[in-house]
Amino acid sequence: MFEYLITNYNYMVVVFLMMMGLWAMIAKKNLVKKCIGLVIFQTGIILFYISMGAKNNSTIPIIDPKYGEAAINYANPLTQILMLTAIVVGVATLGVGLMLVQRIYKEYGSINEDRILEKFK
Amino acid sequence: MIWQFDILLLTLVVVCGFVSLWIKDLMGAVIVFGAYSFLMCLVWTGMGAVDVAFTEAAVGAGVSTIFFIATVFHTSRTIRYNKWDLSTKFFSSIICILMGFFLMVAIGDFPAWGDALSPVNNNVAKYYLENSMEETKVPNVVTSVLADYRAFDTMFETGVVFVASLVIFTLLLQSDGRKKLMKSAFQKVSFLNVSESLIIRKACGLMVPFMQLFALYVVVHGHYSPGGGFQGGVILGASLILLSMAYDIKKVFARFHMKFMIKSLAVGVLIFAGIGLICLILGGNFLDYSALSKLFPSMGSIKSRYNAMLWVEVGVALTVMSGMFAIYTSLSSNGKFEEGL
Repeated sequence: MFEYLITNYNYMVVVFLMMMGLWAMIAKKNLVKKCIGLVIFQTGIILFYISMGAKNNSTIPIIDPKYGEAAINYANPLTQILMLTAIVVGVATLGVGLMLVQRIYKEYGSINEDRILEKFK
Repeated sequence: MIWQFDILLLTLVVVCGFVSLWIKDLMGAVIVFGAYSFLMCLVWTGMGAVDVAFTEAAVGAGVSTIFFIATVFHTSRTIRYNKWDLSTKFFSSIICILMGFFLMVAIGDFPAWGDALSPVNNNVAKYYLENSMEETKVPNVVTSVLADYRAFDTMFETGVVFVASLVIFTLLLQSDGRKKLMKSAFQKVSFLNVSESLIIRKACGLMVPFMQLFALYVVVHGHYSPGGGFQGGVILGASLILLSMAYDIKKVFARFHMKFMIKSLAVGVLIFAGIGLICLILGGNFLDYSALSKLFPSMGSIKSRYNAMLWVEVGVALTVMSGMFAIYTSLSSNGKFEEGL
């Protein structure tokens, strides 16, 4: 049981973070809180990729003659670059989302979902 | 990877995320969320992903927190409560618990955490690790995969940053005020109503040159150490953001013209795609840098790949720097480009 917990703890955290983000996106009424939920969901997915590429007893993926040339001694670079670009793109798209929040506030005077729906009618 | 350390940090991350969703004050929630990002950065370092940690420290803990603060500053800080609406919360909780349960059941089928022999670590990733040094002479494999083997991905990711900044720039700008804005942003302004605090102004003035020097080092030294175009670009953008927080946006625009900013946003993507196109013209594949050795016969194919990667990183840094600053100026001034935070 303890063994299972250690070898799968990262996936449990991934599921937990993703569900937390999803819940916030559906249930929270405040638009900024929804954006925070979105980013938490995103970090859950990033954690999934990075922890898949982690290796026991390995070092960072910068080739050094001291650690030899075998691939087993270095962490996986491929999952890392996919997520590195995803973080930067994530902040750019988060900017678009926050811009929409500001625009909605300008138009309706509130960032509460229920109030916006009231004014919509 | 040390599992005790990682488990502790992951637990803290979950706690921080929960608190930032639970807290009532939006400004407090945003600050806790910054702490969440910083803990995430420690988690990446623990798992050997130093480049990702660097990006997360610059982007997640730094710039995205500022974006959130700018939005809270221009909207409302408190959460207003209407009548207690249970149905949505109940419904969404059931969906999330069910979905989480099924995902938890599926966990058993995944490879164990830190398994070096899992399929993820053994096909293409193994090839990159074993051949990057021979084929490109770049020790940092993340950089060589980012800018060479998977350059096509990176090019479009840079394109997304470009498009996102353009979207923000145009949508927040009211169409009637555009002419006025163009006039007001480019005229000489007197710096009378700058930030009140003398200490902050002087300290930022001292810090910014060192930040920019460090950012240039990060861009150029990305072949040998963690870093590269994305990280360096974000730090360069952050230095401009710091300057515009200490003074105001107009002062930064007087040095770093708005027209120049939009141009460098486009030029970065152009450098990246242009290098790819030159490779195509010289008879190679798109973004196959070894074709560049026909243009510079003295370099040879390995050396030309090495050098082309540097130029690609410079292009990425230009786009990301201008993109971050463009997003900040639009968000923090609510589309007016005058004062900022």
